[in-house]
Amino acid sequence: MTTKPTDPEKEKMMSENYLWDASGTPDSEIQRLESLLSDFRYAGRPLVLPAEMPAPPRKLLGHLLHMPSLSRLAAAAAILLALGITLFFFLRPKQAPDSGPAWDVANLQGAPQIGTKAIAANQTAVKLHVGQTIVTNGDSRASISQADLGEIRIEPNSRLRLLQTDPNRKRIQLDVGTIHAAIWAPPGTFVVDTPSAVATDLGCAYTLQVAPDGSGTLRTTLGWVGFHLNGRDSFIPAGAMCSTRPELGPGIPYFEDATPAFREAIAQFDSSSQDSPTRSAALAGILSEARAHDALSLWHLLYRTTGPERAQVYARFAALVPPPASVTRSGILNLDQSMLDLWWNSLGLGEISVWRFWEQSASPQPSPNSQQLLQKKQSLLKQAP
Amino acid sequence: MAALSELRPSHSGPSAVNPPHETSGGPDDALVRAAQHGDRSAFGLLYARYSRMVHGILLARVPSSDVDDLVHDVFLQALPRLSTLREVSRFPGWLASIARNRATDFHRRAKPNDEFDEQSASAQIEQPAPSARHSSHSSAEAHAILDAIRSLPDAYREPLILRLVEGMTGPEIAARTGLTHGSIRVNLHRGMLQLREILGRKASPPAGGAL
Repeated sequence: MTTKPTDPEKEKMMSENYLWDASGTPDSEIQRLESLLSDFRYAGRPLVLPAEMPAPPRKLLGHLLHMPSLSRLAAAAAILLALGITLFFFLRPKQAPDSGPAWDVANLQGAPQIGTKAIAANQTAVKLHVGQTIVTNGDSRASISQADLGEIRIEPNSRLRLLQTDPNRKRIQLDVGTIHAAIWAPPGTFVVDTPSAVATDLGCAYTLQVAPDGSGTLRTTLGWVGFHLNGRDSFIPAGAMCSTRPELGPGIPYFEDATPAFREAIAQFDSSSQDSPTRSAALAGILSEARAHDALSLWHLLYRTTGPERAQVYARFAALVPPPASVTRSGILNLDQSMLDLWWNSLGLGEISVWRFWEQSASPQPSPNSQQLLQKKQSLLKQAP
Repeated sequence: MAALSELRPSHSGPSAVNPPHETSGGPDDALVRAAQHGDRSAFGLLYARYSRMVHGILLARVPSSDVDDLVHDVFLQALPRLSTLREVSRFPGWLASIARNRATDFHRRAKPNDEFDEQSASAQIEQPAPSARHSSHSSAEAHAILDAIRSLPDAYREPLILRLVEGMTGPEIAARTGLTHGSIRVNLHRGMLQLREILGRKASPPAGGAL
């Protein structure tokens, strides 16, 4: 509580205009403090929000008052029961704070840090808890692992944060740097947020790099990975890679053994705006250089083009990999999802229903029937070729 | 699907004191209401307007190396709870409370693993920022000043950090924290007085006190 200022204090206070609103005669000591402390000032960084804003809650009291009396009694009983259960969980003996969910951390080189504390080379039983950040400098490397998830190696100059570690969702945030992930958890369980896309493991091993400007590159070495931002998806199978850029999201994935001209054309297409003259040249380069194996890229291009451009992509794609019998040109040009999925499945790159299922089921809030979803996901996996 | 989108805070230029934003409650009230109904851009604007305040409140309590992450956390915690805020005009104070609670929670969670020790933290943690414009000597002095501010009572360190570090003016601090002009003015004055005393003592240690 602030006590009232005395009159002399009030007088002194009112003369300190520079301290109050930076007006009046500058106070050299305050200016010096401002200058010295300016390095701590908030530099601002993008806020990464879930795609869906939480729905406003219904006004419980209003609903209760307008209910018929019997329903009101039932609702009141339900509330009392919920209160009882909450109290039970609240009052029961608490677990020790360090027994909460955490990942094992190992120092691979140098002195990586968890938050502000360095991890010694021979230190054992180091844990990374939800909310904590692990940082490596130019000389340090670390690994984090969890028995039912897999292992993530963190390369030098990286910054990674553990966001969530629930049975059906493990989530980290890679602000900058490089990680190698080897994941054995069910597909869709492990998610990495980066400043420009979300990487979803679909049963695989991969390397993810994030540059200081927020752009990134993902290379899949085993299985496949989904890269996603604002409804823009890229599926990256083993041997392929994909770049991502802030605000634009993931680009067109391509196999690393594609010709240099093809790769260059992809990079140019990804960085061109819709009406840019370089875009049509880039598209022409992609189509002329594409091999049958590059159908991966052409399939994604169908989504990133419109009108005559999409028709050109279709023609080249169909010439390299004829579509299944039930897939029609008009269906593809209208982005009929079932036809696009059929064509994808004919590429032999993996069953797309795994990804579609994940897209539909993995909402930002944990689903009440998450266990069922997990089982369904696993059964889908078993059906995949 | 947990797709993410980015909202970038807009900050004014490098001047020592940023011009005040809109200080009346009206525009922010409308933003809060819109955000309560799921308007993402409204929430983004609230982030742009209040992120410096949240940063300052956190910097008064936790190591600077962790503050940026925690700012992010505070807004992500506020987002799902926003619809429970009945009086939208109380948004500034409500958000400030979430920030203070997050700082408390940070220390609580840090204990099991880190054995966080504020003194050693001051020595180790406050590494010069990559963008540091000052020499290492000035940087050490800046850290000493920040520690001195942090040693002040709660009521003084927050307004002082918002004024001296975040470059906010007194009226802006009042608008952003939901406190009165009078209270902020008194706390800035008294806090500055105590800070000058501490810094004065450090500059001239008592005879025989040096090691």
